[in-house]
Amino acid sequence: MKNSHTMSATNTKNTQINARQLSFFCALVLPVGKLLELPSLLTSYAGGDLLIAALLGSAVEFLAFLALVLFAKRRGAPIEALEARCGKPTARIFLGVYTLFLLAFSVLPLFDLERFSHAAFSDTSPTFFTFTPFLVLAGFICAKGLKGVGRSADLTPILCLFPLLLLIAMSVGQADFSRLLPVVEKPISVSAKAAWKTLPYFSSGGLLLPLMSGYSYEKGDEKKLFPAFFAGILLLLLFLATFFATFGLLGETEHFALMKIGQYFPALRFIGRVDLLLVYLVTVALFYYTALPLQLSVECFCRCFSIKNKVIPSAALCVGLYFALLFLNKYNNAIHAFFFSWLPPVFLIFSTLLPIAFLLLFGKKDGGRYEMNEKTNNHKGDEKA
Amino acid sequence: METLSLSLTDNRKAVKKRLPAEDILTFSFESLDGVECVLVYADGMVNKHLLGELVARPLQAVALPDGESRKDVVATTCRFPEIKELTRLDECEKEVLDGNALLLVDGISTAFSFGAKLLPVRSVTEPPTDVAVKGPREGFIEDVKTNMALVRKRLKSPDLRLQVSRIGRRSDTAVCLCYLEGIVNEDVKKTVEERLQKVDVDILPDSSYVAALISERKHSVFRSVGTTERPDVFAAKLAEGRVGVLVDGSPIALTLPFAQVEDFQSNEDYYVSPFMATIFRLLRLFSVMIALLAPALYVCSQLFKIQLLPLALTLTIAKSAKDIPLSPSMEMFLVLFVLEVLKEASIRMPKYVGMSLSVVGALVLGEAAVSAGFLSTPAIIVVAFSGICLYAVPNFVETGSILRWIFLIVAGSIGPFGLTVCVALVLYYMLTADSFGMPLLAPFAPITPSDLKDALVKYELLSLSKRPKIYGSKNRTRLSLKEKKQ
Repeated sequence: MKNSHTMSATNTKNTQINARQLSFFCALVLPVGKLLELPSLLTSYAGGDLLIAALLGSAVEFLAFLALVLFAKRRGAPIEALEARCGKPTARIFLGVYTLFLLAFSVLPLFDLERFSHAAFSDTSPTFFTFTPFLVLAGFICAKGLKGVGRSADLTPILCLFPLLLLIAMSVGQADFSRLLPVVEKPISVSAKAAWKTLPYFSSGGLLLPLMSGYSYEKGDEKKLFPAFFAGILLLLLFLATFFATFGLLGETEHFALMKIGQYFPALRFIGRVDLLLVYLVTVALFYYTALPLQLSVECFCRCFSIKNKVIPSAALCVGLYFALLFLNKYNNAIHAFFFSWLPPVFLIFSTLLPIAFLLLFGKKDGGRYEMNEKTNNHKGDEKA
Repeated sequence: METLSLSLTDNRKAVKKRLPAEDILTFSFESLDGVECVLVYADGMVNKHLLGELVARPLQAVALPDGESRKDVVATTCRFPEIKELTRLDECEKEVLDGNALLLVDGISTAFSFGAKLLPVRSVTEPPTDVAVKGPREGFIEDVKTNMALVRKRLKSPDLRLQVSRIGRRSDTAVCLCYLEGIVNEDVKKTVEERLQKVDVDILPDSSYVAALISERKHSVFRSVGTTERPDVFAAKLAEGRVGVLVDGSPIALTLPFAQVEDFQSNEDYYVSPFMATIFRLLRLFSVMIALLAPALYVCSQLFKIQLLPLALTLTIAKSAKDIPLSPSMEMFLVLFVLEVLKEASIRMPKYVGMSLSVVGALVLGEAAVSAGFLSTPAIIVVAFSGICLYAVPNFVETGSILRWIFLIVAGSIGPFGLTVCVALVLYYMLTADSFGMPLLAPFAPITPSDLKDALVKYELLSLSKRPKIYGSKNRTRLSLKEKKQ
């Protein structure tokens, strides 16, 4: 059994994310990322059974989360465990491959955000240039490292929870919840197929795996984490229910549900589209969510190649993204079709099966803990032979 | 290192050589038995009457013995509360330049420095930048000794430490590090001490120089050092576990570490009911948000997203703005520019023309420009309201003005999306910015639940029995009710 104690030299300090911040992340940030295209997609694939499909997708997501939390409880950080058990070269290969996965993960949210920016923020059809500021923001976030992830999660109750609840409250008056009945209208296979196709949206395990390097389990954390995750699922289901209750099967054509859901509130005729101000507030959290896979890919890339300064990789990534989006934004539909047809297995492997594999292979109850030690860059504890 | 000699003539020449300026005066007199004595001082900086009564007159009435005892007789004869004995010429030079008087006596190789400063300082009055309806009316002044006394007056504790050091090669400015031993965060104190020691400048005219030199983020629009002109606020911050810095020549005291939420708090919040304090704080927060975003949102609603405003309001604005030759963003830019110029001019202009120029600014630029069709009324209203709102938080004016410009430029060129991205960028920057180890957005990010009781919401006093956790003080209890003796 290998006992490689040395961590990558690029581990930075201040990457800690505590249980409360992780809870906010699961409860608020993860659902927000699903509020743009997922409602219309689920309506299209599952019709009135969209809640079942969402539940199935969330269950898959929860398996990954459960595996990661259990691993954190028993052994600490997964990537550090891999490095300690299999050596630095293996860890580097893993990080390199994971970087590519994270870049792929970021495609859908990016494209969704780009189209959302045109629809929600302008009455006309602006040029692609108007999306460029987001790439500047993403570059800034990537260069900062993981320090801000936890702290930005602490702001999500203000950025996400209250605006979302207000938006839902504004739409409840126009919603007909009887549209959701019967609860199970179609065979379960339809919902399962819908969940399978939209699996890229239920792949938060892929984000959480590298994020766990900055998290250190403390006794009783699961009492915060699991309820928070369920609360996030509940928030998503509430939003989807309200969405379908408002639009019914026409919801299939209502892309960017976030900006559509509150628009029929009667008072808006007199006070203006104040719901858009709430949407803009939620969009701030959406920016951070969309930038997160990019941020994590830069982290993994820098750890893989032992690069200390994140500024250049971040800048290079954003320039590359600019050109990629510039050329590919015409093929939006094709990219979405590709993701939903061919890539669900890839997302399943990286986001769900991989965390479970980590738990089964390295997550035995006895043994030392693998955590990022800021001072020595060594892992705490030793493996029992 | 030159030392003093026994000869008065040589010492006098040596001192005069080091201090050749014409305002450095000497006053010669003799003791009863004809021993020559000289007082050296900077004109206008000493209390000559005091020197005459407590130094010169007593010495003229005594005979000074020869030998070592002469020094002791001089020391006991001069009934001065603040006497220092000096042997080196550089020390003598420093004392004279500091405003003290130097006594040289023939036959002694020791000089005496008397703390007879009478520097021209203004009296302690209410600070003009930090006005409160309720609460103390004292403010710091330019003299560091007076400021130290004002702090000592409020913290009559043996734990109060006032460490004076000298910074500035040519100004030799006294900089006083203040903290409460046993309460202060030792790491912060140590960091500030080290940074102050590293400072090497020519002159130190103001505390803002010190703030800039010890600050962690040199190129940030957000400050990392708090400021106050009020001794009560300064003492309260020391009592929370923070470190304070007083600089001679500046009425602005520095406090570290700094949290952005402090800008939305006022000392008056602690002298009124907690409900009113909470309302005032939230009002300040909303005022700042309106100040920063109103011009940008106005431009967005005119150029990019008309739906943001109700239809009737949109039509009213359109009616006012229909003949304006400038686009909404250019118009807003121009009005904001005029506001900034007016603001700057009103600070700089002499008082006797202030009234006339205010009329020019308000009537001519405002009223006449609208009548002539250069500007629209809604734009002027938005900018004026934004300008007033920003002054609800005076300490945030500099940062807010810059951010307002940035938001306006981005909103005018890219629209609401650019504005939202800009807000997200500023927010993320603030999230990741620290001030001496403390997050700038504490206690909101990361959340410190116990400290939220005195952040934007203000709980009643008995709930604030613990010092804020974010400042890392070891001694956290600051308030308890004594049990009644039965």
